[in-house]
Amino acid sequence: MEKLMADLKAQIIQQLNLKHLKPEDIGDDQPLFVEGLGLDSIDALELIVLLQQEYNIKLANAEDGPKVFQSVRTMAEYITANKPA
Amino acid sequence: MYIQALGNISPQTDFNQLPQKVDYTSNHLKAIDADITEFVNPNIARRMGRIIKMGVAAAMASMKEAGLEKPDAITMGTAYGCLEDTGVFLKKLVEQNETMLTPTNFIQSTHNTVSGQIALLLKTHCYNNTFVHRGFSFESALQDAIMLMNENDAAHVLVGAADEITDASHKILSRFDLYKNNVANSEELFSQHTKGTIAGEGSVFFMMNKKSSEKDYAILKDVTTFYKPIGNHAITDRINKLLSSNGLSINDIDVVINGKNGDVQNDRVYEQLEENIFSGKTSITYKQWCGEFPTSSAYALWLAANIAKHQQLPADKTNRSIKHILVYNHYQNIHHSLQLVTAC
Repeated sequence: MEKLMADLKAQIIQQLNLKHLKPEDIGDDQPLFVEGLGLDSIDALELIVLLQQEYNIKLANAEDGPKVFQSVRTMAEYITANKPA
Repeated sequence: MYIQALGNISPQTDFNQLPQKVDYTSNHLKAIDADITEFVNPNIARRMGRIIKMGVAAAMASMKEAGLEKPDAITMGTAYGCLEDTGVFLKKLVEQNETMLTPTNFIQSTHNTVSGQIALLLKTHCYNNTFVHRGFSFESALQDAIMLMNENDAAHVLVGAADEITDASHKILSRFDLYKNNVANSEELFSQHTKGTIAGEGSVFFMMNKKSSEKDYAILKDVTTFYKPIGNHAITDRINKLLSSNGLSINDIDVVINGKNGDVQNDRVYEQLEENIFSGKTSITYKQWCGEFPTSSAYALWLAANIAKHQQLPADKTNRSIKHILVYNHYQNIHHSLQLVTAC
């Protein structure tokens, strides 16, 4: 899980072009949207594509988005639970 | 229309430091990196491509110099638009077989992204128009500003231009033999007498006012465009017509800024005019500093405004008496334009 979260942080920085941040600047449980990293709805689409490209996981239900993308930890948990066999 | 303030993000941006001779490392003159940290927080800036940063930095610099919070209108011109984001989006489209495409590059790829971003940053819903007319793009933006002022729809108009060259577009344009292969400096650019020029890019913005102020650089008296003129006489007629409609003749012009770019065919048009209507005039070039691109005439206007204000020619500290400046540029001998600038 720790390795996956570290990878995710680097991938989020790369995908969302957050050049002003380093992976260690993103907390495991820090909210990604609004008051946390300050991401917005365009970033949500980028994160959905990131899951598809890097982990071959399609977000089946759009309503799950807010829960899945709450933090790096919730993303990592979702990836672990839904990783293709 | 009074030119109150300027912002310039180009390969050469300081009027007082313009070099006589420019050394080139390639046939692509790149604009300086635009620093927008003063105007935009990093979370917003991260999505901006180079051209957006150039445009935003130039626009914000002119707003800051003018001391204005919001203009009454924004008009700008771009020929190529946001090429970098367009290229990234199209590349992904092909490489990912039209799947898993993200919105960021797409929404930043439209031609009006720059002026849209400026409006967002200034928090204004004012009139906002981007003109995409190849070599007439910037002049169209100027003409729109003049009309807005004449019709009392705006008193302060932020007018500008922005164009970028990317590696991909440079490669494609090079296939048309537009650029010289071996040009080490600006002297060689004009002395080789061969085909081709040097590619350029940049963004210049102006705060234009209907009324004069103490800060004004110059007055933009008139702008005109003409398409594919047939022969030298047609150009001369246009010049005389523009001058006479402003109560002037060629004898009143102190400085001509011409759009020579080093391409032997391109420059022949200017040379023929120098033998006739511009004979004996102080004539200067500008594309050695910014390169050739469809909206480079904005750079020429920036230069004219500075010449009028400082009463000095670029790279020459001699004090002069300069009243009227005529900017004549053509892009590939298709899009021709004249700008008449008068000192305050």
